[in-house]
Amino acid sequence: MSAELRVEQLRKVFVTGHPPVQKAAIDTVSFTIAAGEIVVLLGPSGCGKTTTLRCVAGLEHPNSGRIVIGGTAYTDPAAGVLVPPRSRNLGMVFQSYAVWPHMTVRQNVTYPLRARKTPRADQARAVQEALALVELAEYADRPVTQLSGGQMQRVALARSMVYHPQILLLDEPLSNLDAQLRLRLRDDLRRIIKRAGLTALYVTHDQTEAVVLGDRIGVMRDGRLLQLDTPREIYNRPADLFVAGFTGATNRIDGRLLRHDADFAIIETRSGERLLARLGSGLQDGAAARVALRPDNVVFAPAGDGPNRFTAHVESQHYQGTQTVYEVTVLGTRIEALEVGSSARWEVGAEVTVALPPEMCWGYGP
Amino acid sequence: MDGQTASPHLGEITRIRAPAARASHPALPWLWSGLLIAVLGFLVLYPTLMLLFGALTTTNPVLEGVHLADVSIGNFLTVATNINVLAALGNSLIACGGGTLLAVVIGLSFAWVVVRTNTPCKALIASTGMLPLFVPPLVAGVAWSILGSPKTGLLNMLMAKAGLGWHVDLYSMPGMIFVFGIYYAPYVYMFTAAALRNMDPSLEEAAEIAGASPTRTMATVTFPLILPAIISGMLLSFVVMLGIYGIPAVLGAPANIPVLTTYIFALTAWSPPLYNTAAAVAVILMIVTGVLVYAQQRVLAGRNFTTVAGKAFRPRALNLGPWRFFTLGLAIVYLLVVVVLPSLALIVAAFRKFLFIRDIPSLLDMKQYGWQHFIKMFDNPLTVISIVNSMKVGVITAVVGGILAFAIGYTITRTHAPGRRTIDAITTIPVAIPGLVIGVAYLWAWIGLPGGLYGTLWILALAFVARFIPDTVKALSTSLMQIHRELEEAAWICGRGMLGTIASIVLPLARPGVVAATTLLFILAIRELGSSLFLYSSGTMVMAVQLLGYYEGGNIGITAAFSLVQMVLLGVLITITHSLSRGAAQRSVVRGG
Repeated sequence: MSAELRVEQLRKVFVTGHPPVQKAAIDTVSFTIAAGEIVVLLGPSGCGKTTTLRCVAGLEHPNSGRIVIGGTAYTDPAAGVLVPPRSRNLGMVFQSYAVWPHMTVRQNVTYPLRARKTPRADQARAVQEALALVELAEYADRPVTQLSGGQMQRVALARSMVYHPQILLLDEPLSNLDAQLRLRLRDDLRRIIKRAGLTALYVTHDQTEAVVLGDRIGVMRDGRLLQLDTPREIYNRPADLFVAGFTGATNRIDGRLLRHDADFAIIETRSGERLLARLGSGLQDGAAARVALRPDNVVFAPAGDGPNRFTAHVESQHYQGTQTVYEVTVLGTRIEALEVGSSARWEVGAEVTVALPPEMCWGYGP
Repeated sequence: MDGQTASPHLGEITRIRAPAARASHPALPWLWSGLLIAVLGFLVLYPTLMLLFGALTTTNPVLEGVHLADVSIGNFLTVATNINVLAALGNSLIACGGGTLLAVVIGLSFAWVVVRTNTPCKALIASTGMLPLFVPPLVAGVAWSILGSPKTGLLNMLMAKAGLGWHVDLYSMPGMIFVFGIYYAPYVYMFTAAALRNMDPSLEEAAEIAGASPTRTMATVTFPLILPAIISGMLLSFVVMLGIYGIPAVLGAPANIPVLTTYIFALTAWSPPLYNTAAAVAVILMIVTGVLVYAQQRVLAGRNFTTVAGKAFRPRALNLGPWRFFTLGLAIVYLLVVVVLPSLALIVAAFRKFLFIRDIPSLLDMKQYGWQHFIKMFDNPLTVISIVNSMKVGVITAVVGGILAFAIGYTITRTHAPGRRTIDAITTIPVAIPGLVIGVAYLWAWIGLPGGLYGTLWILALAFVARFIPDTVKALSTSLMQIHRELEEAAWICGRGMLGTIASIVLPLARPGVVAATTLLFILAIRELGSSLFLYSSGTMVMAVQLLGYYEGGNIGITAAFSLVQMVLLGVLITITHSLSRGAAQRSVVRGG
């Protein structure tokens, strides 16, 4: 049955380069996934997300820390515990799908059951159910080499779920598919995993995939877990500048923190104007501060009155059909602003009032 | 969230039990690596050390047993400075050096004609041009002695009857150089043709746009770019020639021109056999080979600057105009000399009652031909025994060598077992040891031990396994590396152990490579002469040695007949392997010589 996964103080060090330098691929990462929950690890390549997943699978060996599944420690170097992958009872979907090309769909999916010496009658039934779940029942006796990429992906999924593993691990399972198929499978994947009631750890570098699939998202960088939260929290309350940037808040406005209360800070920008922003991590009165802001949160010509109203100068205009991206100078900084709609309202050189909603301006230390 | 709702489908399955959580014993990888190193030590290191030991002593291992007392570098130096040894070394260097130069001239022109011109029938020329690679050197020597022996050679008789004043004598240094050159040209061809094919044509186009003439482009761009390939092919063909016994034995011996290989064998054939001297000369041969192999690896490693961009290029074909028929003519002459003439010579000699040819019409007189040599050959029980023995040795070599090479290849490419580098390093050692030297080494390793391997078929098979292990491991590693790692990891995750995964995933996927490598081992084993010479005994006669026996017995008809039998056998086997492996066979015969 699906189980809870606890990763405690996980650390893995690689020695690379010449002269050899120690580099932490995973730098003291801890998190817990409740039974039946889907957690997505999100981050750029080399951030340690795949290494973390492979440590859970038992394919990589961490230097320290513990991996506890359903209350049992499977990896605990300090205690000399290292259960090999075959005995962990996990399911895993690989980036390359790793469906065995010399077998049919049925043989691929039966394989883990044969390894477990499941009685024959149960094998057939379990395979049939797993294939039905991924909607491949009528393909059971085809050689997998005759399948499309998306179908192979489903075979891999059926194979990893047929024995009802304690935890399902997915390593960028959609990255080898074309864009359209990726969108469809993304939705299917969540539905299938939820229907099977599996605990899942999913690794990707694609933010939209993470948002759609995950109950919670963990953003990783340089081997560290920066923030683990629901998609809503990640997108609306990013913990630091990197997470903010990763969710699309690419604009940066530099300044100095004047004063703050429990939730908001007042920041003096380069132009001398004052900006009201949410109080993030690493801020100190009088010290340098940096505000992150998503282009789509810039409001042009707001109605009525409110905080954070400034005059912006339109520098360039990139019409994209259903939306227009502008570069504007505001608060002494050049930022991007995005307005939805098929008419580009603001010409280059125009002066326009913009509102930067304080809820959407996130201030951090440098 | 709907996280806690269990699946209506999968939840029902209760009889799928989770695998027991058990860890493999931490000492297991060490045990495995230790086992592999022990096996390799037994196959490679022990005989090599015994050979070195033999070169440093003067005791006879058969009569006096093995003593460590009189080991001295002086014994080796006495042999190394002996005038006969130096003469043999000199002859070897001249014959192989000359042969290599000729091979470069032929191979390079051949590569250029095939890859870079619009000569007609290019593909056919290219594939028939590779045929000499598969001809055992002894058979090549026999064929050319039938054609070009000074008194009875077919060519000389025909030219005399035709009233031409020409005369050829293949029993000479130029004769050896000629035969070496034409048979090993394909080695140079393979390297240079690949380099020419992989060269980015825009490199040459750039030179021409910069104002260089075609000849100048060739001299300043094309040639420098393929120079590493030429040098590499040159060194390889030199090394292979150095270890060849068959050609100098047939063509050099009558003219009293000993080379290192024939000299080593002569030493062990004397009474009493001079095993120590033979070992010392073998060590000299091994040192020369080792240096050259090292040089070749360096050249190959340093060729990255060249042309290979990982892209497939369509090579530029030069339009030769009417001259393309001239190049076609040259290619046909080469094929005539290297394929057609020797085959005809063997066929004529094998089926003709008497090799003496009175005049041209008598050459075509069918009454002169028959099966008598074949009948006589099969009347000799040794013929059948040697064929059966060769097959047995071939099977043992293929099975033992195949399993060992797979184990080593898997350990090196797929595991984190300790000592992988050591295993890899020991595996490559035989690359630098000619077959004949391995024969001497195995002789030294086992002749002094009572009740050991000496005199059995196993000593032959094990020597062949040791000789061909580097190529087999390399071929198998290549096919293993083509299997995506995740295919294996997926099986582990699914609950299979390492052995189960190998059996159900790795082996089925690597099957074409494994089948090709083992069949190839079989072929190489049944045609191997150099190492067999020292290891066969009356009960374990093999085909290659038996052929040499027929030749030295003086009956050219039976020799030619047996040569044909072996060629047909090899031809069938190679065709099968080739169709199984699509070209891998060709690459690996290269070092077999």
